Amino acid sequence: MKIQELNTKVKNTWCPGCTNNGILFATKQAIVNLVNKKKIKLKNIVDVTGIGCHAKIYDYLNVNGFYSIHGRVLPTMLGIKVGNPSLTVIGFSGDGDTYAEGIAHFVHACRYNTDMTMIVHNNQVFALTTGQATPTTEIGFKDGSTPLGTKEKPLNPIVLALASGATFVARGYAQDSVHLTTLIEQGILHKGFAFIDILQPCITYHNTIPYFTKQIYKLNKNNHDPSNFEKAWIKAKEWDYCFKNNSKVPIGIFYKMKRPAFEAQWPQLKKPWYTIKRKIDWKKIADGFR
Amino acid sequence: MQKTILIGGEAGQGVAKTSYLVGKVFTQAGYYVFNYKDYPSLIKGGHNFNVLKISSKPVYSHEIRYDIVLALDQKTIDKHEKDLTKDGFILGGKRLRAKNFIGIDVQSILKKLKAPSVIGNNVLIGYLFKILGLPLDTLIKTIEKEFSGSDKGKISIMKKAVKEGHNSPGDKKEVLEIKNKAKYFLTGNEAVACGAIASGLDIYIAYPMTPATSVLHYLASRQLKDNTLVLQLENEISVINAALGASFTGAISMVGTSGGGFALMSEAMSLQGMSEIPLVVYLAQRTAPSTGVPTYTTQGDLKFAVNIGHGEFPKIVVAPGDAKESISRTEEAFYLSQKYRVLSIIMSDKHLGESHYSFDELEKSQLRPSRNILKNPSTLYKNYKLTKTGVSPRIVPGQGPFARATSYEHDENGYTIEDTDMTKKMNDKRFRKLKYIKEEIEKLNPVNIYGKGDNLIISWGSTKGAILDALYELKNFRFMQISYIKPFPQNQVKKEIEKSKNIILIENNVSGLLGQIITEQTGYFIKNKILKYDAMPFTPSGIVNRIKKITR
Repeated sequence: MKIQELNTKVKNTWCPGCTNNGILFATKQAIVNLVNKKKIKLKNIVDVTGIGCHAKIYDYLNVNGFYSIHGRVLPTMLGIKVGNPSLTVIGFSGDGDTYAEGIAHFVHACRYNTDMTMIVHNNQVFALTTGQATPTTEIGFKDGSTPLGTKEKPLNPIVLALASGATFVARGYAQDSVHLTTLIEQGILHKGFAFIDILQPCITYHNTIPYFTKQIYKLNKNNHDPSNFEKAWIKAKEWDYCFKNNSKVPIGIFYKMKRPAFEAQWPQLKKPWYTIKRKIDWKKIADGFR
Repeated sequence: MQKTILIGGEAGQGVAKTSYLVGKVFTQAGYYVFNYKDYPSLIKGGHNFNVLKISSKPVYSHEIRYDIVLALDQKTIDKHEKDLTKDGFILGGKRLRAKNFIGIDVQSILKKLKAPSVIGNNVLIGYLFKILGLPLDTLIKTIEKEFSGSDKGKISIMKKAVKEGHNSPGDKKEVLEIKNKAKYFLTGNEAVACGAIASGLDIYIAYPMTPATSVLHYLASRQLKDNTLVLQLENEISVINAALGASFTGAISMVGTSGGGFALMSEAMSLQGMSEIPLVVYLAQRTAPSTGVPTYTTQGDLKFAVNIGHGEFPKIVVAPGDAKESISRTEEAFYLSQKYRVLSIIMSDKHLGESHYSFDELEKSQLRPSRNILKNPSTLYKNYKLTKTGVSPRIVPGQGPFARATSYEHDENGYTIEDTDMTKKMNDKRFRKLKYIKEEIEKLNPVNIYGKGDNLIISWGSTKGAILDALYELKNFRFMQISYIKPFPQNQVKKEIEKSKNIILIENNVSGLLGQIITEQTGYFIKNKILKYDAMPFTPSGIVNRIKKITR
């Protein structure tokens, strides 16, 4: 297939130059690569989005889609996967969506280890509501709701994912689509819950491009072993989501391990429910009460 | 024959199980039984009791005057001795103290059998049936049937214990006739679960909450047998969003909860309205507001259910009145939800959900469940096609053309729009369904009339049982049970009201919520209300007394 097949006719309404386009491109490229390698089937891909700038991706990707509600991307994905285990479920969500409104679901998704891929467009700001602080915004950020500056230490989602038992933990950068494409491909191929936090500078409300351009470096086999939890933990703590001059920001796969996927542990989850034809033996059911 | 038996003891002493077994023996002997369950929110200690009303004619409610009290502890006697009937008596272990008391030497029997104290309940059951003149073999057969899956040693000791009880010295007080046909004996919650299975349920998701929990337990226990999936997730928000996700893929899905959980689900019910993904929600009410009185009953959520979810969208609210109706109403909820891509809410409460009812027959409805998924959809398929009926044919992911579902206002293809013309068109499309749903509901007996008379009792849901049993003593009264609250059967309700003299509304809540809906829908205001909001269900005598006061 060609990448153009994934385009829709819907007009892109992200701000001109928005870095979400990098995520959109990398996702399309990853899908094309995996479909062409026959690793996944196009008709079986389902995307799920929350609410926020990221969610517009629902309109720009020509695949099965569920434009869900704020914070509820993960339960929706779980439902889709247990509804039809043969589907390739890819979730897109924002930092407000995942780490504020939907934080409980995130912790449990890491525990459940359902075979699905969660892509978080982490711009460290609520952009579509005009720029308020989110749980990953740095200390000192000033905006309409926090004119005195945010006081709280930002949440480190990589650390949280590791602590919650996630089996695939990665960080990407929206401005590096080539690197991001490989992360998304590996996330989709991972048999379990794959979590990718993507640094996605908001050029309107939280432009962090200059900082990331300078501070980002890639994890590779020379500087990191993703099968080692202790090392992953150390790398995860290397950057605290604040913008200190001397901090390095690692991107790539922090941690990867095998654990049975949620849906693989239910004997009744063999095929899509919609293909099952049932014959109800009512007499037998009723006789249970007599 | 009619007898009311109270069985009481501490939580953890096996009150509910003992009562169920006694009820089961009676239904096996061909009697009608209603089994009311009363327990506070604690696990050990406190005071739990069940009331069994046993009769040779159909019975749908309990009373608070007892012919027999079977006491597992002294507290049961202290609390309920005053409510014994004139010839009533109390039965229990020898150590207990009461007037009109028959004490059995349970301890010696347990010692002899080397059995744990909970087996003492079986000794008492054996003795109870001895003095009622019911033969031992009916009892033994029921135990063998009920515990067929259990450990053989356990069954053997239970059988020995009832035998010892049955052989204990004492006189028969009567001889019960054994009728041929055993009755069906089940709770409203079991009935809802079975209605769901009969509807082709694939996935049930829930978070534990009294009094809906037993649906979760029941369906979970038999999921492999039924080939269904029963999941407990991290909270009710996750539960309902996952159910929508599953239903989007074509799985027939249901969630169940009570008031607080239902409140958490409300945002996603609005998502159902916009996305038009079929979904069935079971709401078992308990006493609110807030945590309220968690293990007791009230019908306080009627208008909350009718109005649930922000924005306007068509939905169905159906309220069965007993366990048998809970089967067919659940099937209807699934049928309508799948066919019209709407939200169906089934309402019950603690009283209906956890009480056992008995019936001669246990039919399912004639409706045939269908997933209503388009076969071989074309590439020109539109997820939200504007149709005459408002129902857009449905596909699921994996079929070929892309399935889309969205919380956003959208065009026919399911892409986001914000233009005024399409917004209006889509609202019209969603509401067009209502006309067709109303026509379907008219064929489903949305209103039932019982008895004959110029005067009319109006009610809904679990109050049906006590009202039906009260009707025997009320002259010139008929009873209108309204089962579909949304869409509301306006014309039928109006007609019944117009041909009645005295009209009395009976509801288990503070402000007469059904009455408010009747006024909104028909323009009639019902002045006479019998309301009960002490967290307890109605009893027939309670209803008769209050009606007499009004009509005096």
